Amino acid sequence: MAYVATRGGERAIEQSERLFKQELGTITPEKVKQVRETMPYLVDRVMGEASLYDQDVAALALAQTGGELSEAVLLLRAWRTTQPRITVAKPLEQDKQHVFRRISAAFKDIPGGQLLGPSLDYAHRLLATEVLAGEDHTPKPVEAAEKAAPSHQPSVSAWLSSQGLVDDAEHDDTAPDDIPDLTREPLLFPAKRAHRLQSLARADSGGVLALGYSAMRGYGQAHPTVSELRLAEVDIEVQHPCGTSFSAGRVKVSQAEVISKAKGERLDRGFAATFGWNEVKCISAATLDLNADGAEKNSAVEEEFFLYHTEGVESSGFCIHFKLPHYVTFQSSLDAMRDAKAKKQTPQMEAAE
Amino acid sequence: MADQQSRHAFVLATLARGNDAEIKQFAEQLLADIDEVEVIKNRTGLVMLPMRDTVEGTAFHLGEVLVAEAHIRALGQEGYGMKTGRDLEAAMAIAVIDAAWQAGHELSTIDAFVAAQADAIAANDNERMRAVEATRVNMETF
Repeated sequence: MAYVATRGGERAIEQSERLFKQELGTITPEKVKQVRETMPYLVDRVMGEASLYDQDVAALALAQTGGELSEAVLLLRAWRTTQPRITVAKPLEQDKQHVFRRISAAFKDIPGGQLLGPSLDYAHRLLATEVLAGEDHTPKPVEAAEKAAPSHQPSVSAWLSSQGLVDDAEHDDTAPDDIPDLTREPLLFPAKRAHRLQSLARADSGGVLALGYSAMRGYGQAHPTVSELRLAEVDIEVQHPCGTSFSAGRVKVSQAEVISKAKGERLDRGFAATFGWNEVKCISAATLDLNADGAEKNSAVEEEFFLYHTEGVESSGFCIHFKLPHYVTFQSSLDAMRDAKAKKQTPQMEAAE
Repeated sequence: MADQQSRHAFVLATLARGNDAEIKQFAEQLLADIDEVEVIKNRTGLVMLPMRDTVEGTAFHLGEVLVAEAHIRALGQEGYGMKTGRDLEAAMAIAVIDAAWQAGHELSTIDAFVAAQADAIAANDNERMRAVEATRVNMETF
């Protein structure tokens, strides 16, 4: 290992950073508020990948990085380390979620019914160019129903279990403080299921989509059908010093369970969830989970492959390190090339003499 | 005891989702009659949120939620407040109200305030869920 000492770069480095920030302009509380309010799905994506839920802080990271997602996620992951962990909340249960969207592509008559919720699934994708011509674009208001939808819905999984189509999920009674935690222990393979699901929850959305899509196109072992897709809000249940359990507020989460055709008497399933409302990520990640067991080594659906390659901070960090000075390593390659060339030429010259 | 705990949980949860400005103002009013408040903690921090997956029932960590926390001693009680976000004043206001509620100080006033907050939250939740109900779809196979 060798290093090249550089001199005279400090000013250029400082001016480079200034140039980046100057082009973004002044960051104001109003600008951050506008990012948070006008781009909630982008804020959700960043919170999910950062594994840190706070809309204001995520919007600030986006404003500060000009929307450069890798940088925004890195900024949040770094800032997270400045905060103490106060406690671990009570694990979320399916029937306690406040469900805003809930659909199944596999079963049309699920208990509780299907709620499209906020979605563009069936919309025409038309750009509102009139806004660029100076007009406002105001969406039509929802014609609300007389009666409110029930806040809680049973999981499709529990219904499948009652039909004998899937194995019952075992009740994991691990104490919250003892749940394996990737932020405090290394990812080892074969990974614990808790590590796999945590890693997918904080994975890069584009990364899991790319690898999940490869499985959907036939490079995996199983083709997914969405058994249940949920967008919900969930309570953060913590304890008062006197022992009272209470909700400290709600956060948005999304989750997907996918199934494949039965190979035997039971359906194979995959699951994924993340902070914020990000359904493409959840369906892709659940597809990877579905395909992981028994996957061929080094295939895109093999656990080690997809968990390592969808960790956004590590992968983007490794990618950008290639633009940093590699003069010594590259110089050694050049020296070896020149040396080989010289050795090749020497016998020819001696023969000519 | 269980009933008292569930009422306590209701007060804390309602205040955590309530109107911050109104909660701070109400706590200020209560503080006028409280002689001494010892602040044990008032900080932001993280709460790790686990979830159980539907396939194997495994508990795993979804990520951490930023919260504001306040822990005080007042009126001989341990007052505590925690809410999502970074508003330390709001957390402190909840802790003050909590200490007063546990001590039975201005109990009926606090209960009335919390009930009004809960009504406002419920009305907002109901409005959102009425909009969600409008998106209910019944699929038919032909």
